[in-house]
Order: sequence, then structure tokens, then C-alpha cells
Amino acid sequence: MKRKIKILFKMPMLIVFIIILLFFTPFAIYSPGESRNRGVVTALGIDKIDEEYEISLLTFIPTANQSYQEKSSVISGKGGSVAEAIYNAQIAMGRSVGLSHAKTTVVNEKLLEEDVASSIDYLSRVASLPENTVFVCTNKTAKEILESSKDLISNLGLKLEQVIGYNANNLYVTDTSLEAFYKGYFSPTKSSLIGYLTIEDEKTRKEENSEISNSQDSGSTQTQSSQKNSDSSSNSNNSEAGLKQIVNQGQAVLLKNGKKVALLDVEQLNGINILNPKSINQIITVDGIEKDEQTISLQYKIKTKKTLISSKFENGYPIYNAQLILGVELVEINGVENSLKVNTEFSNVTDEIAEKIEQKIKEQFTNSINILRDCDADVLGIARQFFFHNRKEFVRFLNKIGGQEAVSQFIDYVVFKLNVVVEPD
Amino acid sequence: MSYFNVKDKIEEIKSTLNSSVDFSSRLYKKDNQILGFIFLKSIIDQTLFSSAVYFPLQMYNSKITIEGLKNDILKCVDIKEIKEKDIIKEILDGKLIIVTNFSKKILSIDLLKFPTRIPSEPPTSPVIQGPREGFVEDLQTNITLLRRRIKTKELVMEVLRVGSQTQTKVCITYIKGIANKKIVKEVKEKIKNIKIDGILDSYNILTYLENRPGSLFKQIGNTEKPDIVTSKMLEGKVAIIVDNSPIVLTVPFIFIEDLQNSNDYYTNHHYSSFVRVIRLLGLLIALISPGFYLALQLYHYNILPLNFLITIADTTQGLPFTPFLEILFIFLLFQILYEVSLRLPSYLGLATSVVGALILGDTGVKAGLISPPGVIIVALSKIALYTIPEQAPQITVLQLIFIILGGSLGLIGLISGLVYIINYLNNFDSFKTPYLAPYSPRIPQDLKDATFMEPVYSMRQRPKAFSPEKKERL
Amino acid sequence: MKKISIRQCGVIIVMCIFANKILLMPSLMYQQTSADSIFVLLTLFLLDFAMLPIFIKLKENYPNKKLYDILRDKLGKVVTKIIYFAMLCFFFFKCLLVFSVTYVYFKQQIYQDEFIFLALIAFLPVINHATISGIRAFSRTIELFFGVVIAGFVVCLAISLFTPISTPYFFVSSAKDFFLSLYNHVFAFGDFIILFLIMDRIEIKKGQTKKLFFFALFAIILVVSLFYLFYAKYQITAFMHNNALADLLVFSVQFNAIGRLDIIAMLTIMFITLFQMEIFSYAFCDCFVNIFPLLNKNYSVVIFDILFCILYYVFIGRYETMVTSALYWLPYLAIAINYILPIILLVILIIRRQKIEKKDKNFI
Repeated sequence: MKRKIKILFKMPMLIVFIIILLFFTPFAIYSPGESRNRGVVTALGIDKIDEEYEISLLTFIPTANQSYQEKSSVISGKGGSVAEAIYNAQIAMGRSVGLSHAKTTVVNEKLLEEDVASSIDYLSRVASLPENTVFVCTNKTAKEILESSKDLISNLGLKLEQVIGYNANNLYVTDTSLEAFYKGYFSPTKSSLIGYLTIEDEKTRKEENSEISNSQDSGSTQTQSSQKNSDSSSNSNNSEAGLKQIVNQGQAVLLKNGKKVALLDVEQLNGINILNPKSINQIITVDGIEKDEQTISLQYKIKTKKTLISSKFENGYPIYNAQLILGVELVEINGVENSLKVNTEFSNVTDEIAEKIEQKIKEQFTNSINILRDCDADVLGIARQFFFHNRKEFVRFLNKIGGQEAVSQFIDYVVFKLNVVVEPD
Repeated sequence: MSYFNVKDKIEEIKSTLNSSVDFSSRLYKKDNQILGFIFLKSIIDQTLFSSAVYFPLQMYNSKITIEGLKNDILKCVDIKEIKEKDIIKEILDGKLIIVTNFSKKILSIDLLKFPTRIPSEPPTSPVIQGPREGFVEDLQTNITLLRRRIKTKELVMEVLRVGSQTQTKVCITYIKGIANKKIVKEVKEKIKNIKIDGILDSYNILTYLENRPGSLFKQIGNTEKPDIVTSKMLEGKVAIIVDNSPIVLTVPFIFIEDLQNSNDYYTNHHYSSFVRVIRLLGLLIALISPGFYLALQLYHYNILPLNFLITIADTTQGLPFTPFLEILFIFLLFQILYEVSLRLPSYLGLATSVVGALILGDTGVKAGLISPPGVIIVALSKIALYTIPEQAPQITVLQLIFIILGGSLGLIGLISGLVYIINYLNNFDSFKTPYLAPYSPRIPQDLKDATFMEPVYSMRQRPKAFSPEKKERL
Repeated sequence: MKKISIRQCGVIIVMCIFANKILLMPSLMYQQTSADSIFVLLTLFLLDFAMLPIFIKLKENYPNKKLYDILRDKLGKVVTKIIYFAMLCFFFFKCLLVFSVTYVYFKQQIYQDEFIFLALIAFLPVINHATISGIRAFSRTIELFFGVVIAGFVVCLAISLFTPISTPYFFVSSAKDFFLSLYNHVFAFGDFIILFLIMDRIEIKKGQTKKLFFFALFAIILVVSLFYLFYAKYQITAFMHNNALADLLVFSVQFNAIGRLDIIAMLTIMFITLFQMEIFSYAFCDCFVNIFPLLNKNYSVVIFDILFCILYYVFIGRYETMVTSALYWLPYLAIAINYILPIILLVILIIRRQKIEKKDKNFI
């Protein structure tokens, strides 16, 4: 026996093997697996009802069929804080909540009346929640959004984050993630921009539908949920859910100190994004062009965009110079008969058209800047530009207008000079 | 004056050999000269005996002397004089012994003949292009195969006898001036020190050569192909050929040798590099894929992409086993099928593969006993195992270890296990050669024949890892 | 004596330079000095880097002598043992800090629940085995995985370039903060001390010393670029992200379709952690064996394990306490080891040179 033990100790590899076999195997045998123990949450909604938080979790339910389609249900819990509500939802679910696949976080508009960061404090502390989770706000309850989003999957094969992702890439052009929100929130100007989803009942939709389609330059994607999905299981028994639908109008909420200060529509968002070279999904309408005694309107699509930005202080005042070089393409001609015939004529951008486009863009930009000025929300990073390139003067100027705290008001004093050059594509 | 009483001598030898069935003797009398022929008829070429020994003797008319026998009468190549005590040994080696009553000298004539295979392509290492010869069980043939390839006076072949009962010939072969002297000396000493009654195959002496007997890992190279042995000897290794075994051992052995295949040298080196990368990848997949899958499923569902997670969750929902047991079950199923298919005759092998693959796998999935992803993962790892078939036994055991590690500790367990094994391998040097060379320690010049292979003309130096005496190939 | 090559030595240095700097430190530093932390980092690296020439000179003068013997000859047995004891503590706490920082990362990102038991069971046997099998074996292992680790590291850095990054603000923190930050984080540095400890094991051939500089510089560049990219990516929210290397991979919208890419960072960090712990545990045992020359090396491993478990469970346990308590008194230890010890060695060298010069004069 003694000899055998001695031999054993000569082979540490063998000892480790034996230890692994003896101690770890039972450990592994009885482990049922995390994926069975956890409710995998794919989207998260936070509502506030009468000083109480309600958390709705769009949870993936594994089913033993082999269709491999996502089958989800919404489970909610209430509590005095988000953490408590999630804990209660966990009890309702009978599993522990796994947030690592949560791609979307929806909050109700009501939460934005106060500092939203304090409400969602829990989310920033949960390490498992990915930072790139989409963070949006809605006019109705978040629960309704999640309920309707189930139909999105079955009807359009779209997921909520894909709908929002489209907006984020094409309309806001900025990320609307939790991380982006915090970046804005902790910045000196304390302002951030997050996406906004509206949800409407069937009736109101019919009324407004015409409006939306008339609005010419709305880049909105509209996703409808049909009522006909009688084949889907118990989830659609909820008659309300069938009637609701997510209407994605490409709106965004401007937040200051975590509070909602303005709701921006597509037009205003485009104005904010004028200087953003990535934002090119925009159509510019030029009205009042005289052609053979007819007044026609032309629509141009921006194809390329280059920006040159410089900043300086003149006479102690900040000047923000921006040059915008646009490549445009004619997409539509209205108000003339046989419009196809005149197509070639206007594909060359004349000085007149260029001037009108410039005017239009300046108008848009001024509007947006005014909104930002009203809200003291510098989401464009104007102050940052000056801080970077003219730091000494910037600091001096800030001290003049009221010290570090006044950085939010800085945008009010900036003189913007926008120069637009239109090049035919 | 008679030196031997031939008849008595024959009787004496007969009784020493326990009157064996194949014992034969023949007396030849001419005048008063008596010659006794003693042999074992089972291993003697009897036609050669009559034509080259007996018939010339009958035709000879003068007085027979030992010198006359050796130089004139006998028409054989290998004739030598032996001592009396060696008679039994010589007989057992297939020699014809001649004792006479007119001389104390004893003659031994090599008439050995027994059924042998002709060199054919070994089933373990087939090549698409390249030599198809393989070693056979006969030592003499094997030596011939090597001698044909290496025509230098420096080729050394030393024969030692191992095994108290079998007296098996073990031939140590190396090229003098290339193979490291210390390694040759170490091999010789180890073989001399073998205390065993019988050697049946080269695997019997393999365990005696290992630096760490009892270790899981392969420490001695083995091959059935003379071209491989030749190339290894040219790198400075020592080959050990054992009589009655077609497997030739080579030392020192390093891990990368199994990654290299003789095919690589007979095709384009770019393609060979690609194939070697695939082999390495296959090794890695074979080693950790079941454990990795288990770790992901048991501990790290959060790093799986959502769609993959959905598939796994849907398929494993409702299985009676926990994931670990499921993988273990599939693993054992595959292993059993593999063993069966290996042992069964080929016409039955087809039947088992049908039963195994179709019935067991498919029905298992349909019955909800095992999940499709589990089957795929284990099957993948089992197939990947045979990208390096030489390492299959070790890797199979390690697969099991990694399944346990992944199932009980998750990713950390897998990584720790991997680092542990590499550490262990780095710590054992087989014949003073680093096992994982040329990667750790990194030997830049040896990398030419590692994963990314360079053309043969650029390999001007012998691998430094084996510390050859002569470093340049030319 | 089993010696290691210069390349293996360089690989060990790279691992040491990564130690404690790539996960928690960027965000901890940011809280104090924001993006100016890069200058703190550079300053500390520069101080460290000054040690390398001292080491090379020392190695030239005493090619086959142990540090212990050099110190004993010059300073006496007692002082040497005290120095070695300080080094023992230094390496032990480095090891503990590496483990705790990585453990927190694992807990947050990989394992959802507490798993300290698993982590200890998985790590300690491997580390012990490496320590017992000696520096040559584990430096070869690190050498084998070096390519993998560096590839993982570089991929992490490269992928972060696909997310919007912008130059961080520099020169915003005060001089006081700067020096305080230097003081607070000095413990994570002093990576070249390990070289002095294993100096008799290193085989430096002629003209190979620059290889060592190359490795050190390479690792420093990697760490600095990690800091830069991390700050450029997260800017103001950098303090919220505790696992710099892994966090560089998240938030990459472009790669979302593939799934979670942070598995690359995860594997890289696992390897790096294991190797660092192996190195520090070896250093601990080496010091231990020198302090108590009568004891078998295996005892030092056992003592390391026991101390490790006890300190982890009883005294530190929670990583916040670990980090804050580390900030109180570890810097003193670090300053003593990082800067005073090399200066002592430098003095020894100078004295030796003067003696040799004197001898030469006597000959004339």
C-alpha cells in the first residue's frame, strides 16, 4: 500500500486526474445547466405607476419543439425600486433573471419627468446587462411595447431592436444605447438624445395613417401588427395586444439632466444631424422653381456629405464655422406635366437650386439650434469643439459667463456660420 | 580418433530440445567418416538442404575435411564455425548444425526459411503519392528495406537479444556521425537493461524506452514505412527494429512528428502547410469541443449568441438527462461504436455503422433522449480526432477529462486544463529533447518543417531539437 | 541548472507588464486623473524602464550569480533575508491582486454566480504544478501561448477601432492628483524586479540584450494603447467600466450580428491571469526557499496555497476592500521594492566598478 501511494506521488498528473474524476464529476452530473435555470430576457421595460415601478421582461421560453423560433412572453413584477421589481418578476417567472441577452430597454415617458438615471441606477450596476442595449422611450407603457413586439416577430420577422436599430442608423445617427445615454448624462452639458417609440391603438392609427403618409420627408418605418394572427398561441388571446401597434416615427427625446426637455420629430432631428457626415438619409424639397410658367417643386436626396468644421474666438466671441459639401441626386419632380421629360434638366444643380437648398438647410439647422439653445442641451458637442481647439479662450469665456457651470449655456453665445456647397452627384 | 560420438550427440541435443516434433537429424556415413546434420525442419529450407548440402556431399569423392566442407563441398553462403555451447541457440535460430567424428569443429549453416509477407502498403499510413512499401515481420527483410535506402558506410546496425525465452533480435539502427552519441548510448543501455521473458512486438520494449513510464503521452515514435524511418534517421534519430514486428520505433520523439505526415513531403508545400493547419485545428476541436460546449451550456449561456442559445434551449428542453450526462452518454456511444467497428470483420462493420449511425443516433434524438447539437458536437470531435490518428488514444482520454473539466468548472477549467497539460509536456523531455519543440522552446530554424512548411530545399539543416552531431544536411 | 532563453525571459516580462494593468486600473485611474492617466502610466513605465539597464549591467558583472548571493555578500545575511521577505510579500500580494481583479471580471461577465471555490480549484493546482516543475517548464508554456495571447490582445484593441472613438481630453487634472495617482498605482508596477530574482536562470548570449528591451517596449506600447483606446472609446463613462480589455469589445454595434465577441477578451484574460499567477507564485516560492533554505520547495507551494486561501477568504474577500486596503500600505512596499532595491544594486555595481578600476591602477 505504501509503495502504491509513493508511486502515486511520483505522478502528479495522475493525482490531478483522480481528483478531477472523484470530486468534479458529481458536481457536473447534477448541474442542470444555466440555460435551463435562467429566464433569458431579450427585452426589458420599465414603467412607473403611482410611485411604483413595474418591470416587464420579454422572456424567451424554451419549448421542446424543433422549430427553433423565438417564443417569448412578457412577465412583469412591481416594486418600490427597479431592483425590487425585477426581484418580484423573478418570483413570478420561477427562474432567475438573466439579463445578458437583453437587447432593448424601454422606459415610459413618465420616468423621464424626473432624473431617469436615478431610476435605472440598478441597470448600470448589473454587470450582466450589456452596455450596448438599446435604450428607448415610449409614450405608452413599456409593457405594451413589449407585448406588441411579440407580434413584430411573428408577423414581420422583425425584432424590436432591429426596428430601433434602423432608426438609430438612419435617423438619429447617434447610438441610442444605454452607454450613449450615460455618455451624454455625464458629459459637462449633461444632455443626451434617446429614441422614441410611439404606440397607437387601431382606431387612432387609421386616422393618423393618412397624415403620416402625406408627410413627405418622414423616413419613418411603419410596422404594423395585423389582427389576423389567430394561429399563434395563447399570447395573442390578449385582445389589447392585437389592437396595439408600434409606430415608428423616427422621433427622439432630448434629455437634460436625465429629464425630458423636448421631443424632436424627424425634421428637427435632421436639422441636428446636418453636420453629421453619416446622416445622409434625408430628402430636401425645393419649392417654387419657375419652369415654363409653371411652379414646380423638386426633391433631392443627399448622397454624399462632407463637413469641414473649425472654431475660433473673434472679439471674445465664439464662432463656429462649418462648411457642408453635399452631393445630391434628383429623385422626384412635382407640379409639372410630363415630369419625366424635364428630368435631365434639373439633374444638374443650378445656382438657383443650390441657393434654395442652402437656404432650406440653414433654416433647418437654425431651427434645431434654437431648440438646443432653448433647452441648454448641447448634444452636438459644440462646447467640446471649442474646448479642444481653443481651450484657453474657451475657459476664459466660460469664466466670463458664469464659470464651469455655465458650459450648458455656452451654445447660446456661439455664432454659427454655415456654408453649404452643393455638388451634383 | 573420434572427436564426437555423432549419434550420442544427436540424442543429447534431441533430449535437450525435449524431443520436439520438428526436430530432425540425419546421418551421413562415408567410409568411417560420419557427419550428423541437426536442424528444426519447421524453420529450415529443406529444398536448399538437399540441393546445397546433401547432394554436393554425395557427389564428393575425396576425404571430407572441415575446411573442405566449408570451402568446396557446401554450396551455401553463410557457413561458420561455432562453439559447442551455442548449438542449441543456433538450431533455434534456424541453422543447420553439422557435427562430425573427425573434427571437434562444429559447423553452422544458415538455411533459415519461414513464411513471410512481402512488403506491402501498411494500412495505418497509406499515401496518395509516394512509396508504398511497408515493413514486414521479418527482421532481415526490414534491414534490407533500410539498406536499400541508405547507401553509406556510416549506417550502423547493431543487434541485441532481448527476452529470456524468446531471444528476440532487437536491431538498433542509426547513422554514425549524425545521430547524437549520447542518445545512442542511452538507447543501448535501456535495451540492455530490459529484463523480460518474451518480446512479441516492438510495443513490448517501448515501455522500457520511455523516460516517464506510465505517462499518458506518447514518447516514442513508431512507423511502418521505411521511407519515414530513413528520413527520421537522417534527422539524427535512432531507429529500433524488433524481429517479428512490422512497427519500427524511433527516438527521440517530439509532438510535432505526428503532425507531419509522409504525404506532406510528396506534395506541394503550400498545400502541406494548409493541411497541417487543418490537422492542428482538428486536434484542438477534438480536444476541447465537447468540453467547451458543455461549459457554454452549463455556465456561460450569456456569451452564446441569442439564436444559438434558442436552438440549444429548445432542443435540450425536456431531455431526461442533465447536459453533462447527455454528452457523456453520446461520447460513450460513439466510443463503443468505434471499438465495435474496429474489431468486427468488414462485412459486419457496415451493419454496425448502419445500426449505430441511423438507428441509435436518429432514434435517440427523436425519442428525446439526446439532443441534435450534442450529437453534432461529439461527432465533430470524434471525426476531428482522426486528423491525427497517431494521437487518437491520448486525445480520447483527454477528451473525457476535458468533458469533466468543462462540465464541472466551465471555461476556466478548460483553460486551466490546457495550460496544465502544456506545462506537463514542457516538463518532460524524451531523450533530452523538448517535447513541444520547435514551438516551446521556439527554435526558429526548426519551424521550417513545423505547421507552416517550407520547401524541402530550404531545410538545409537538420532539426536542432534532436541535437544531431552534424548540423548541416550536406 | 535549467536555464531559460532570452526570448522566454522577454515573454515573462511581457506577462508581468500586463499584470494588474489591463482590467481594473484604467477605470480606477480615470476617476482620479481622467485621461491624464496615460501620463501617469507613462511616468511609471519610464521609472520601471530605468531598471532594465541596471539589470543588464548586473547580469554582465555577475553572469551566474544569484541575487541572494550578491546581496548576502554585500549586505549580510540578515538584511538580505529582510529584503527577500519584502519581495515575498510583494509578489504574494501581486498574485493576490491579479487573482482578485480577474475574479471580479469572471464573476461579472462569465460566471453569473459566486464561484470562488471553482476558481481556486481550477487555478491553484495549475499554478502549483507550474511552480514545482520550475521556471523552464512554465516559461516554455508561456512562450507557446504567447502568440495566442498577443493576438487576442491586439484583436481586442483592433475591434475597438470600429466603434466611434474620439481623442480624449488631456491636461485637465491637477498636479496634486497626478502625484497622488502615481503613488496610488505604484504597486501595480515594478515588473522588472522579477528579472533580478531569476537572474541566474537567464542565459543571455552576446548582443541579445536589446531583445529584452524590445519585448518590454512592445508590452508597454500595448498597454498604453489599451489605455488610450479605452479612454477614447468611453471618455466620460470610463469610470463605469471596470474591465478595460473586455469592455473594448462590447458596444461594437457593427459586430453585434456575430454575437458576443468578448469571448476573445475572456480567453486572453484567462491565459494572461494564469501565467501571471504562475510567475508571481514562482517568485514567491523562490524567495521563500531562499529565506528558509532548509525547507523543501514543495513546502513553499503548500504555504503559498494556504496563505492564498486564508488571505482571500478572511482578510480580503471582497475586492473593493482589497483594492482600497491595498492603496493604504502596499505603495510603501512597492516603492521599497521597485525603486530602493534597484538603487541598492546600482550602488553595489558602482562600488564594484571602482574596486576594479583601483585594481587596474595597482597593476599599472
